[in-house]
Amino acid sequence: MANFDEIFGEQWKRSVEKICGASESSSLGFSQAWEIATSALKPRPLNEHPPPRDQALVLAAVQRIHKAKMTPFLIDSFLGDLRKCEHFIESEINESMGRYDASQDPNEVAQLIDRLAQWYKHWVPNPNSQSLYKTFQLAFQTHLFSFLPLSFPDAFKALLVETIGQPVESNVIVFQRFEVLGFLDRYESLLASVVYQQIELRVAETCPKEWTSRKLADLRTWLKEKIVPWLAAPYARGARTVEDARAMVSGIISRFDFHVCRTLCDLRIKEIFDIIVDYPDSMDALIDLKECLTRVDQRPQLVTALRKANHKRLLHPGADTKDILSQYVSTIKCLRIVDPPGVLLYKVADPIRRYLRERPDTIRSIVSSLVGEGGDLIDESEQPGPVQTVAEDFSDPNWEPEPIDAGPEFRTSRPSDVITTLVSIYDSKDLFVKELQVLLAQRLLAITDGNFEKERRNIEILKLRFGEAALQVCEVMLKDMTDSKRIDHHIQAQGQSIMHPTVISRHFWPPLQGSRLRMPGQFREIQENYGRGFSAFKPDKRLRWLPHLGEVHLDVELSDRTVSVEVSPLEAAIIELFSSKPVWSMDEISVKLGQLDHVTVQKGLLTWIEHGVVSDQGDNTFRLLEQASTSDVRPAARPMDIIEDTSPVVTTEQQQADQMRIYWQFIQGMLTNIGPMPIERIQGMLRLAPGYDRTVEQLGGFLEAARREGLVLFMGGMWQLNR
Amino acid sequence: MKVTVKRWHAIAQWQWDTGTRSDPNTEQEGAGNQTQNDDDEDGDGDVCGICRVAYEGCCPTCKVPGDDCPLIWGECSHVFHMHCLLKWIGTAASKQQCPMDRRTWVTAERKVAAS
Ligand SMILES: [Zn+2]
Ligand SMILES: [Zn+2]
Ligand SMILES: [Zn+2]
Repeated sequence: MANFDEIFGEQWKRSVEKICGASESSSLGFSQAWEIATSALKPRPLNEHPPPRDQALVLAAVQRIHKAKMTPFLIDSFLGDLRKCEHFIESEINESMGRYDASQDPNEVAQLIDRLAQWYKHWVPNPNSQSLYKTFQLAFQTHLFSFLPLSFPDAFKALLVETIGQPVESNVIVFQRFEVLGFLDRYESLLASVVYQQIELRVAETCPKEWTSRKLADLRTWLKEKIVPWLAAPYARGARTVEDARAMVSGIISRFDFHVCRTLCDLRIKEIFDIIVDYPDSMDALIDLKECLTRVDQRPQLVTALRKANHKRLLHPGADTKDILSQYVSTIKCLRIVDPPGVLLYKVADPIRRYLRERPDTIRSIVSSLVGEGGDLIDESEQPGPVQTVAEDFSDPNWEPEPIDAGPEFRTSRPSDVITTLVSIYDSKDLFVKELQVLLAQRLLAITDGNFEKERRNIEILKLRFGEAALQVCEVMLKDMTDSKRIDHHIQAQGQSIMHPTVISRHFWPPLQGSRLRMPGQFREIQENYGRGFSAFKPDKRLRWLPHLGEVHLDVELSDRTVSVEVSPLEAAIIELFSSKPVWSMDEISVKLGQLDHVTVQKGLLTWIEHGVVSDQGDNTFRLLEQASTSDVRPAARPMDIIEDTSPVVTTEQQQADQMRIYWQFIQGMLTNIGPMPIERIQGMLRLAPGYDRTVEQLGGFLEAARREGLVLFMGGMWQLNR
Repeated sequence: MKVTVKRWHAIAQWQWDTGTRSDPNTEQEGAGNQTQNDDDEDGDGDVCGICRVAYEGCCPTCKVPGDDCPLIWGECSHVFHMHCLLKWIGTAASKQQCPMDRRTWVTAERKVAAS
């Protein structure tokens, strides 16, 4: 119908005028009415207005046309006129969008929409009738949208974002324009996406790495204060009462709240590994995550992300067992906060437990933390409870979930504490008790001041965990310490001795290293005297010395100086030999001290060489330096002023070698599990180890040294273990 | 040159002087230098014939070794944990005999400080 006018043109108009004019009975002729009506309706440029006419006359004209059943023709004529004017808005749009494309200033879009609304208002049929208006609106919007360039939705979006910060009153006007122009219906999905984007932006701006406050609450406040008021304009239009408006908006608010939870949840899941590292400082982030998870079920994503991060950052040869354990403990604590039923925990903890079981030094690490060497692995304030022998079953169907609103403090008082969790990595606690015994033995034997109260306290605590019976052995060890002190007290009273031994019950201590060492000279006498004193006090018992253990504080009085040191019995024995004659061969020393192997003797000699007391003559003989040497035979000899220093000085070179030795364990593991590898691959895997900063050349040097030692072979470009 | 020992923290194990064992600290000289002074030298002679636990361990009813679980010497030269022997003698089957040689049990007067 739109083409009617074009097809029939002026000819048709004139003929109609004739027909209608002939039957004209009212005061207004049809031709005149047509003229008045079309001229009133005719769309014009903004600065041009229809000829001033009495409103009543225009209305009468339209009615006259209606009576003649010619309204459809009037409408067609109007549409034809409208089409002739559409180039006005087209060029308006093109100019504005051109400027917007250049400046990206949403204000251009705002002005454009303002102008478009003006055009709309200028052209809206007057007088109005329902059918005329609908027709106009449809035609106007059809033209409008056909002119909008592809870039318009984005520009419109930018404008919407701009409105979010604006006062409600001004937004009401702006949104009325959108509504009039049909933008709100057409771009409904844009509206929501603008808010989604704002939420994501807000989360990205305020939440990453902010784990020490409740961000979810902040976001919800922001949503309430910034977004909700804005929503009224687009989503509650047409509401007649406040209740109406609230009902219309509540659904969409809930959708946006969901998006807040989801976005924050995604972020926290991405950060979860570091959140656990930061625990308990990151408590608030965990509570947020828990709350988000009740809205959004991202549990599977959480499990996947954490397992992946653990695999990449924790469960590799370069990670320290202590660190793995401490992260494991934190993981348990954190996931109990996030997911009280413990299903997530089981899925995440299981691979860590399996990995830890395979590490040779896991038990040792756990045990040293049990006796207080583990740093902060175990919380001092934690109530000790008995260790369950059965591994903790995270998938226990009888597990009772905690009430959802129970605070995190509620969790920590669970009977299964950290130590239980650690011990439960293994099926039996016997391994722990055994390792514990070894560690305790080392610590007790190192005690020289007779003060082992700390160890006693540790054992008391551990008794609560492992049971009295399991620690009976340790109990005897402690009693040996007390008895030694008491007996020594008695023996000293009978006749002073510089010797203060620890006398142990051999079957209750872990196996101690054997040695052939036999103490010479005055040391032998001291031993024998003490032994006699002991047997006098305990007539049916006697002492069997473990001569290589313990330490000796002695002075070496030389002609020009006195060297005061604390040394091992072996070192003491060696220097004692030199008091009878000044030059000794390696073999002589070895035989005299009980057929010791040369490496052991060499090590003992080195101490004295470093103290400048003995010099290496070459040809396997050693000479006492009765006078301090000025021209050192060996560069290892140190100046006099640090001779009194009893702490072993570790050079940085040694430290580096030691560090490389740590990596040997990993290299060995790799070569065992994977088989022969080229150096690049070894280097690549080592690089995953934290702190590993060696170059491939340095690694090469190390491997070469290992090859010389017969530890590895190099064949066909591949390194492999020599087995 | 002179070495002056100011303090010596030594480690030793205690042993029952059963009278049948040589001095643990000198036995090496007799046996040659190859004998290692470690834990593997326990022969059958060093365990209680009743409970088969080492003398320096303790009987099955005790938890602490040494003076709390002492040894008892028989005239027949057999040595047991005292608690083990008394328990054995308390049974009718023992007929008051040494469980090793079935001779009537007579507790020996303990010789004092042989060395
Ligand atoms: Zn016995
Ligand atoms: Zn007993
Ligand atoms: Zn007998």
